[in-house]
This record gives sequence, structure tokens and C-alpha cells, in this order.
Amino acid sequence: MSRQEFVRGQQAFVSAPQALGALNNRWALAAPGDFASDVDVLNYALTLEYLEAAFYQQGNAAGLLDGVEKDYLTSIQADEEYHVKALSDTISKLGGTPVAAPGVDFGGAFADRNTYLTTSATFENVGVGAYLGAAGYIKDKAILQAAAGIFGVEARHAAVVANLLNLPAEGGVYKGAFETPISKADVLAAVTPFLSQMSGGMPAGAPETGGGSTAGSDNNTGLFVAGGAALLGAAAYAGHRVSTREASDGIGS
Amino acid sequence: MANRRIFDGKPVLEFSTGIQRRSFLKYAGLVGVGAGFAVGGGLLTAPAAGAATRTLIDTSDVDILNYALTLEYLESDFYAKGLQAGLLSDRDLELVTPIGDHEKQHVTAVTGAVTAFGGTPVAKPKITYPAGTFDSRDKFLSNASMFEELGVTAYHGQVPLIKDGDVLASAASIAGVESRHAAVIASLINGDPFPNPIEKNASMADILAAVKPLIS
Repeated sequence: MSRQEFVRGQQAFVSAPQALGALNNRWALAAPGDFASDVDVLNYALTLEYLEAAFYQQGNAAGLLDGVEKDYLTSIQADEEYHVKALSDTISKLGGTPVAAPGVDFGGAFADRNTYLTTSATFENVGVGAYLGAAGYIKDKAILQAAAGIFGVEARHAAVVANLLNLPAEGGVYKGAFETPISKADVLAAVTPFLSQMSGGMPAGAPETGGGSTAGSDNNTGLFVAGGAALLGAAAYAGHRVSTREASDGIGS
Repeated sequence: MANRRIFDGKPVLEFSTGIQRRSFLKYAGLVGVGAGFAVGGGLLTAPAAGAATRTLIDTSDVDILNYALTLEYLESDFYAKGLQAGLLSDRDLELVTPIGDHEKQHVTAVTGAVTAFGGTPVAKPKITYPAGTFDSRDKFLSNASMFEELGVTAYHGQVPLIKDGDVLASAASIAGVESRHAAVIASLINGDPFPNPIEKNASMADILAAVKPLIS
């Protein structure tokens, strides 16, 4: 039986070695050396959260949605902003330096409701897979629990947005009975088109500025240097709008 | 969680043996909130009031998997009966049918994992539902919503207790799916699909409050 079959539950009986093999494969996706420390993983996550937060700031500012859709996406934006703040604070607590917010360019994503929501669903599913793919590198159990908690919320976002688009239940709203991890390399490939190297990539719809961390030249633990692009710098938009939710002092605390 | 009670707090779970019931209570962390008492021949020591919740003694990954298995059995049975009742149609039906399939697959996968780790999978508990549980779409879905939120918090509560990386990966991949279920069902009943920016963990007290009424 292949791992795929196991994952899809097509076998009534799963032997011990089969079950173990399937489970092991879940961790095997991330390449050795992808992350050297918990701070590395958190900075990777922080970059994705910055990207998502900026995406919803711009998308919601574009005024494409009404009614419950607007409510949902407003809530999602607040979640992502919360994640940015929680991750940043946690990295600082651990003695690390949070990566700076990347410059972003979402192209035609905000042309209309459909492109906005479709891009959103893609982002969220990448986020889900990214967290699951990186979780095995987290050593501190409290941080792991918090990261898992963020991962679950990204899964909620993905499912609800897909449902707004009326995508098929299985394969659209749900991605099977088990979430699938995505390797760091694949996550990078997926998000790179949305990254710009210029400070001009600052989102027009960002509600506030000045809240972001500054880029440290010694900070090579984030997504961008690892991805081979010189994307650190500028983009200190980082509107930490967590006013609708209580800000934490950091995850894992 | 504490103020929400599945099935209005009526018991739905019956275990075939006292040992199984005690096992489930142990896995569920239903131990000594408040006064000290021992379960299952003194395997467990109750935490002092206000003490950290991670005081279960020797809770192995197999124990945690069997705890998850019991919850998955319950969910799987719940959806099978609810879908059988024919309460849903159109998009509701399209969205809930795969959830039933997922829970079945979780039962299979977790059973396999227990065996793989040298444990003995718990048997499916005997489950009975109060009259009226599957009388209407709204009752079915509102109970489903509470079930899913319970499942999400139960999984997240176990994350720091799981020792083996493979078990953790498997549990996480299931937990994410439960999160999708929870959000979708909430949206079907005009609930809040995003109640927290970070999923809650079910503390021992939360689990006690939510699960104890299910056990007869």
C-alpha cells in the first residue's frame, strides 16, 4: 500500500509498518538544515504572516466584499495581524531578531471579488502546509503548541474562503482527511511571485506604518535570504492592528 | 467551552467494560480537578488546585492515541447517524458528507498508529444519543459544531504531551482537518468560524467540563 492510499484511507486495515511509514513521511518533507533553531522556524512563519497580513490589508481596503464575506475576511485580517505580532514578540523573547516585513506586490489579485478570494484560498492553504512542514523542527513544546494553534486557524481560513467561492467540498474546502505538509522550497516557490524587492512594495492599503521591525544585516534566518533573494529591508509598514483582539505578549508564554 | 454542553449534558457514551471507561477517563485527563482522588488503581495523582495541568503520570503516546481514537469513534458514529437521518440537502449535504468520511479515516489511521506503537486500540464505545438529537438540521449541526470545537481543542491540548515526532505529525495533520470542519460547520449555522486567532488548547478543566457529561 502506498502512503497515498494510507492517507486516503482506502485500506480497511493498516499494518504497523505501513502506519509508521506513512507517519514518518510526514516529517521527511523538510530538508535537513532547513531550520537550525526555533527562531529560524518562527521567522519563516513570521514572513508568511507578514505576507498574509499585507494581503488582507490591501484586499479588504479594495472594498470588493459585502455582508458576511466582508465580515469573514475582516476577521481573517485581524487573525493574521495577531499572528504577526505574536510571532514577532516570541522571537524577541527568545533572543532572536524578527525579520522585517517584506515588500509585497500582489499584482492583479484585487481585480475583483473572485480573484481576491481565490488568491486568499491559495495563500491559506500554503500557510497550512508550511506550518505542518516546519513543525517538526520546533524543539520547544510550548512554541510548538502555539504554532499548531496558528496552523489550525489558517486551516479554518482556507476552508471558509474556499466555501465562499463555492469550491467542491472535497479537494476545495477540504484537502482530504489529513493535512499535507509543504516543504520550505515549495512554499518559497509559491510565495515568491508576491514578493517585491523595493520598498515601493509597501501596500497602499496598509492602515498604519511604523510598527515593523527593522531589518538586521545579520539576520539571515528568514525566508528571503534562504530563498536566495535580497529582500530584506525597507517595508516597515507592519500595521499591527490587533485592536479587535487582545494582543498577547507572545506565543508560547 | 465550559458553558457549552453537548447533548445538553446527557450521557451518550457507554463503555463495554469498567476498564475501558477508566482508561478513557485517564486519557481525557479527567483527573482530580479540585480534590485528590485516584483512578484505576492509583495510577494517577491528582494535581493540587491551581497547579499546572500537565500532571498526568506516565501518559504515553499510546494513551494519547487511544484517547484520540475514542473521540474519533464518537465523531464518526455521530456523523454516520446524522447523515443517515437525511436532514441535510444541497450544499449542507455536500459539505458534511466528506466530514463523515474524514472521521472514518481518522479512526482507521489512529487505530493503525496505536498498533504500530505496540498498543492495543480501544474498542469502539457504545454510544447512545438522547431522543431528538437527529430530529432537525439545526440540532444536528449545532451538536456537530460543538463536537468539532471540542475535537480541535482536545488535539491541541495534547500537542505538548506527545513525545514521538511521528505521532505528533499525525495528530497535527488530523487536527488541521478538524479545524476546517469546525469552521465550515460554524459558518453553516451562522456561528463564528474564527473564534480565536490561535486555536485554544483544551486544558484539563475544559476537557472535564465538556466530556464528562458524555460518559455514562
